[in-house]
Amino acid sequence: MSQAPRRLLAALGASAVLVAAGVAVSASGGTGPAPPAPPASATFRGIPEHDGVLGDPKAPLTLTEYVDLQCPICAEASKQTLPWLVEQYVRPGKAKLELRTLHFIGPDSERAAHVAAGAEQQGRLWPFVEAFYAAQGQENSGYVTDAFLRSVAKAAGVDAGKALAAADGELALRRLERADADATRLGVNATPTFTVAKGDAAPTVIGSGVLTHAKLKAALR
Amino acid sequence: MTRVVAPRARRFGAARGVSVAVALVGLGIAGYLTVVHYAGSAPVCAIAHGCATVQKSAYADLAGVPVALLGLLGYLAILGSLAGDGERARTLTAVLAFSGFGLSLWLTWIEVGELHAICIWCVGSALCMTALAGLSAVRLMSP
Repeated sequence: MSQAPRRLLAALGASAVLVAAGVAVSASGGTGPAPPAPPASATFRGIPEHDGVLGDPKAPLTLTEYVDLQCPICAEASKQTLPWLVEQYVRPGKAKLELRTLHFIGPDSERAAHVAAGAEQQGRLWPFVEAFYAAQGQENSGYVTDAFLRSVAKAAGVDAGKALAAADGELALRRLERADADATRLGVNATPTFTVAKGDAAPTVIGSGVLTHAKLKAALR
Repeated sequence: MTRVVAPRARRFGAARGVSVAVALVGLGIAGYLTVVHYAGSAPVCAIAHGCATVQKSAYADLAGVPVALLGLLGYLAILGSLAGDGERARTLTAVLAFSGFGLSLWLTWIEVGELHAICIWCVGSALCMTALAGLSAVRLMSP
């Protein structure tokens, strides 16, 4: 064999070893069951929730968050932004919070959104979503099983059996359709996205991602 | 005395120049993805494409090292190896480019098969690695 093909074969052999090692490491880190949901925090304790609307229904400002429950940045926003919003605006009655659960990341998002709608019917949407984020697993790995959802429901104080049963109902389906329709109408193309409506005025988009307190403050003025 | 360069040799010289250009494009893409990775909170979960989904997945790290950073280092190493044109330098470029190509294939499979999300930047980098692998094979086979 001449030199050139020999060099090529040697390079291919060395690369195959490197690629195999990389794939082995990558594959071992990509899967694994999601951890069980930790107990819900006190963020929403004592705040009324009706039809998924958190806070005083007569509050002058309506802040709406568009999420996908599998979205890691939504989980980050839930940790960094929501507790502050609740304490500064919802608890004092300045604003109410609404949630639109989208499901574009994959099938796990859709199942999660349906069961979240089931939790909403028990007045526990927000604690359910918070508990879901706390246990969020690898996207589209099939981790959103009934067992996982039961664990999340339990942590959020939701009757898991009723929520799972309601997930397949007409009301849950309508919630998902409303979320999609509202997102399309407002041009929401990323999650999390926050919108604000003042009184009966039409909602306007504040921004997407983990918004700073200053940006939210300015929008809620 | 004028040195006459044979057409075949010129063609292989061009392969080296094109490799440098492609590696620079790849370096730019990997650099951007590395910045986005370390920016942390900047990316959102975009409906239009899956870059955030891919970047935030468990496959975005390899033994704790961000894949974007590995790509950046890989392109730098390829550029370094392209500084020389000897047998050893060509073999090193080929090993690096073939490895990058193989890993890109694996990661593209993960995007499509596991994450159901396509990151256009990752696809761009995979195309660069594919081109570099082809070019380095041509250089390796040249006299």
